Amino acid sequence: MRHEPGERRAFLPELVARLARRGAQVLLEDGYGAELGLIPADYAMPGVQFGDRAAAYAQDYVLILRCPADDALRLLRPGACLLSMLHYPTRPQRVELLRSLGLEAVSLDSIKDDSGRRLIENLRAVAWNGVSAALQVLRRTYPGGFEAPARPPIRVTLLGAGAVGVHVVVAATRYADEALRARLAAAGVPGVAVTVVDYDVTAHAAVMRPLLAQTDLLVDATQRPDPSRPVIPNAWLAELPAHAVLLDLSADPYDCSVDPAAVKGIEGIPQGNLDQYLFAPDDPAWERVPNCVDTRHRRWAAACYSWPGVHPRECMQVYGQQLQPILRTLIDRGGLANLNPDGRFFERAIARAQLSRWPPAGPAGPASDLRSSS
Amino acid sequence: MTRPRTIGLPRMMKEPGEKRVFLPEFVQFLARCGLTVHVEEGYGSRSGFTFDAFRQGNAAVRQCSRRQAFEQELVLVLRSPQRAEHEWLRPGACMVSMLHFPTRPQRVERLRALGLNAISLDSIANDVNLRLVENMKAVAWNGLEVAFDLLERDWPGLRLPHGGPTRVLILGTGMVGKHAVDAAAKLGNVERYNAHLAEGGPASLAICVGRGLTRQPARMEALFRETDILVDATQRRDTSLPVVPNAWLGWLPQHAVVIDLAVDPYTLDVTPPVVRGVEGIPQGNLDQYVFHPADPAWSQTVPPSIPSACRRSVVSCYSWPGIHPEACMRHYGQQLEPLMEVLAQKGYAALAPAGGYFERALYRGSLQAFLQAGEYSARPR
Repeated sequence: MRHEPGERRAFLPELVARLARRGAQVLLEDGYGAELGLIPADYAMPGVQFGDRAAAYAQDYVLILRCPADDALRLLRPGACLLSMLHYPTRPQRVELLRSLGLEAVSLDSIKDDSGRRLIENLRAVAWNGVSAALQVLRRTYPGGFEAPARPPIRVTLLGAGAVGVHVVVAATRYADEALRARLAAAGVPGVAVTVVDYDVTAHAAVMRPLLAQTDLLVDATQRPDPSRPVIPNAWLAELPAHAVLLDLSADPYDCSVDPAAVKGIEGIPQGNLDQYLFAPDDPAWERVPNCVDTRHRRWAAACYSWPGVHPRECMQVYGQQLQPILRTLIDRGGLANLNPDGRFFERAIARAQLSRWPPAGPAGPASDLRSSS
Repeated sequence: MTRPRTIGLPRMMKEPGEKRVFLPEFVQFLARCGLTVHVEEGYGSRSGFTFDAFRQGNAAVRQCSRRQAFEQELVLVLRSPQRAEHEWLRPGACMVSMLHFPTRPQRVERLRALGLNAISLDSIANDVNLRLVENMKAVAWNGLEVAFDLLERDWPGLRLPHGGPTRVLILGTGMVGKHAVDAAAKLGNVERYNAHLAEGGPASLAICVGRGLTRQPARMEALFRETDILVDATQRRDTSLPVVPNAWLGWLPQHAVVIDLAVDPYTLDVTPPVVRGVEGIPQGNLDQYVFHPADPAWSQTVPPSIPSACRRSVVSCYSWPGIHPEACMRHYGQQLEPLMEVLAQKGYAALAPAGGYFERALYRGSLQAFLQAGEYSARPR
């Protein structure tokens, strides 16, 4: 994956070995896994070869966690299948491009079971890695000492009670570090109180402003229906204590080219990535936030487009385990074309994520609009 | 047992309020797996289902007596049957149920002595130890729904004396606790929540605390005094000590409601004794799960040696998912389909720890795997 130098993730040899043992011919791009410290010998096994970038993209199936850039997508052969985090619902232009290139795809984030639960996800790592990074800062900024037995409970305000939010609750109450939690508890240091505010309540200034005034760590884990409306307008950040830390787990971008402009949930904070995800109030990154966004009020901020990538090996172990039965099903069935969308559990799950079946049949709405425009 | 040919579905009759049965579409699914399905007479009658609803003209679905339902090669029943009913199973048959092997050593011993095979639904887990058959979401949502119902009855529109959002204090951040956060934020019911917002209601705040705080009475008093709903979703390491001593309930406002989602019992005749997470509250079931402070159940179900002078309204149910039986069983049916398909194809004896995804999960839930893991033999008798 060539997104930023800090992106080190690659599928681990265990998964590659399983694919090869199952009968797949695997071609890895030269240097695959090098950022994780892996060498070709780690992947050396029958059925596995290395090749250049073009060769890797010229296979029948191309597996890559983050969606490649447009130029790389054009390296795929028409009729080939891309398996990646493609986010169909929020990336209509990408869907359009894939279709125009004659590609099939399986979006890993759309592989779901019969009850709609995602089978390929690492939302726990989003929460734990984000909270861990933010608390590292708070330990420095907290007045009077983060580990002082007389301090009050650390006050975390969590925006959004969805799939990521619930992991934040667990991570925060454990300081995202079990050893630290045990040590502080043994020393009688009060723990953490997390106040969870549902998205719909965040618009109430009368509720939010007093809450912000008593917040040490503010976490955005919302999924907004309207990206033009921030969850926390920049002006409200003035209510926060000076030592407070902002944590962005939503990874929404800024976009001033659309009207109304799209803004991040906590208005004004910089967009981070795996190269830099911590921003002091005087970091130059604040100045690079687009001009249409109010950034006057600043605190320490933690933001990253790919929080799971902060711990790349652990992340890929999780994804590898989740992908095993998916890829096994694809191989055993002899490819996507032989998949029965009404077949067994994993066949049904994969079929739900196929580009050629997107959007799913249902009532008219945005998804249907997408279909008619293609 | 090789590939099984028959399966029995006995009714659950622990209390009159227990209405749950596997739904007709699931029964038909079992028949499509090649099994002859023996359904106990009266199955689903508490929910208005007739035998014809299960049979649907399918000759592979048959009606039978309770005993006959237990005499099939596979026996599927959500809650564990009574002790005497275990003896109705034939040696080599396989019981599939919530058997809770780790905490029920006597049940494990009995199954072994009877030469039975068993798969505990609560032990079926995937490669990262995630339970594949569970309904913790329903535990949390159903409990919160009942509590908000109770609060709203006395305080229409949830306009509480303090004028602000309903404050829900959640103790415990395990799986149930996580769902409780979501449910608390949505007032226990999405329809209520949407209507509430449309009317400009004050909504709710969910406050979660970990173990570091629950051990500090002074901090907890400050939180309790501002709490409208207290949720016990803890998983205690030491079940001989309560998380909330009874005296702490006196800090709660008079209108507060206590929700028991942990549903630990009082078991005082073992050493050390097991007490409930919130000290001095009654334990409910599907027949009664709402208890006002003056309810006679307080003195009838709380042992006299347990302090219970401080009382608030309590909602407690041993089987929270059973409050909405059809939704619950639809959920379990979905989770069970791929598992039962594998079990019907392979049979209990052929389940292997290196098999496919669902086969491995089933194997982990088997009595055989539990016994081989050594936890059982290490357990003091």
